[in-house]
Amino acid sequence: MAKELRPVHETKGILGALALVAVAVGLYWSLVVAPPDAYQGEVQRIMYLHLPSILIAYLSYFLVFVGSGLYLWKREKRDDILAHAAAEIGVLFTALTIIEGSIWGRPTWGVWWTWDARLTLTAILLLIYVGYLMLRSLIEDEQRAATAAAVLGIIGFLDIPLIHMSVYWWRTLHQPPSILRPDKLPWENVHPSMLTALTISFVGFLLLYFYLLSVRYRVGEMRQEIKALRLERGAR
Amino acid sequence: MRAWGFVAAAYGIVWGVILLYLYSLKRRYDQAAAELERLRSTEASAGHEEK
Amino acid sequence: MTLVRQAYLLLWKDVLLELRRRDSLLTMFFFGTLLLFVFHFSFDLAPEKIAEMAPALLWLAFLFTGTLGLAQLFQAERDNHCFDALLLSPLDRGALFLAKSGFNLVLMVLVEAVVIPLFWILFNLRSWNLLPQVFLVTLLGTIGFCVLGTLMSAITLRARARELLLPLVLFPLMIPVILATIRCMEEVLHAGHIGEAMPWLRLLLGFDVIFLTAGVLIFDWVIES
Repeated sequence: MAKELRPVHETKGILGALALVAVAVGLYWSLVVAPPDAYQGEVQRIMYLHLPSILIAYLSYFLVFVGSGLYLWKREKRDDILAHAAAEIGVLFTALTIIEGSIWGRPTWGVWWTWDARLTLTAILLLIYVGYLMLRSLIEDEQRAATAAAVLGIIGFLDIPLIHMSVYWWRTLHQPPSILRPDKLPWENVHPSMLTALTISFVGFLLLYFYLLSVRYRVGEMRQEIKALRLERGAR
Repeated sequence: MRAWGFVAAAYGIVWGVILLYLYSLKRRYDQAAAELERLRSTEASAGHEEK
Repeated sequence: MTLVRQAYLLLWKDVLLELRRRDSLLTMFFFGTLLLFVFHFSFDLAPEKIAEMAPALLWLAFLFTGTLGLAQLFQAERDNHCFDALLLSPLDRGALFLAKSGFNLVLMVLVEAVVIPLFWILFNLRSWNLLPQVFLVTLLGTIGFCVLGTLMSAITLRARARELLLPLVLFPLMIPVILATIRCMEEVLHAGHIGEAMPWLRLLLGFDVIFLTAGVLIFDWVIES
């Protein structure tokens, strides 16, 4: 067991350091190097947070799906730990996405919230996976909680494309008769350094994500071991 | 400029929350590691005694 | 014994039990009707507006009523510790899923068959000729609800605060059905036929097929003792 600890620990450290560097460079590029948008001005810089956040959230939920599927199939604890960790961090980034979207929306559209497709979808995503976390915490038996969560993890992910379609159709077919057109893309003409800022930010977020995931995974793993040891001690 | 206010709010909140989460993770990690260490050492000594 | 036959037998068992006591059916029916009354007082609508709001009000009423039924779905098995027996039998778990979804569907359809005409009467709607299409749309939406609802009902069986948790996990997943069903119904009441809302109908059908299949496949892992 101790043999496994070391390599993971070392990898985490390197990952963390890399993430820190990428994030720092990304921040510099996003806030200093990249020019303000022609139409939106400085506020457009929030997109360097917003787009990576939502992509990371989707990645996380995909991992929940994979972990859930593997767990139901093989019943190995580590897949369940992965799913739980990914769900927790996924919720974190989804919440951040909504906050970023809202703050961006205020100067751009004049409102803190609008029921446009993107924001609505993100909110629904949040609700689904908060439900996932609540489900886990409300079931006493560990084995049952893991199974229940795995089913939800799979079904929820399968539903996402359907939710996407229905919300997008709803918003495009029933456009509110106002001047606001929130569904337009944030920018039209993209300056190359803006793309660079976006890419570096995304890499930074990605590395950060995997760092957080590996730490959270390790916590789950340790807790599992603690439970097993306690059970053993109780039996003796 | 008002615009920078929004940018500052967004970046501030995002990185603030991430740092808080990192802190929460660290606490949980340390707690678990300490508990694990405690269990392992007492188990080792208990096993020793049983012999 | 085939999957369908197994499901049918299990379903019939539940129907017989229900016929004797009629607990769930009556509760759901009265609750659905009660909601209509509550809606009437809450939305003090002019007659013209009611036709517009009808699909949403109806579907909301059925959502909440159906959730009641879902909460009861595995009650008998729980109370009488039947799960072990079910697990030991050579029964395909998928059959249990079909049977339970089917049972909730039967309950809801019976309730809808009464509540929808009741709605037309209470709110003075004239479009009686459109009822068959309204029923069809409602049926498709109800199938989606029952299928996904049975899955969620099963996995939340042992959770604390189960009555709160079940809607919490179910409703976000139901959004495609809610949107599609209401849009189809709106189109029917507005234009007299599905027409423009065909894509929504297809989405609804797709939803039903996908989660019916997923449910049958996944139920093997859902039911433990």
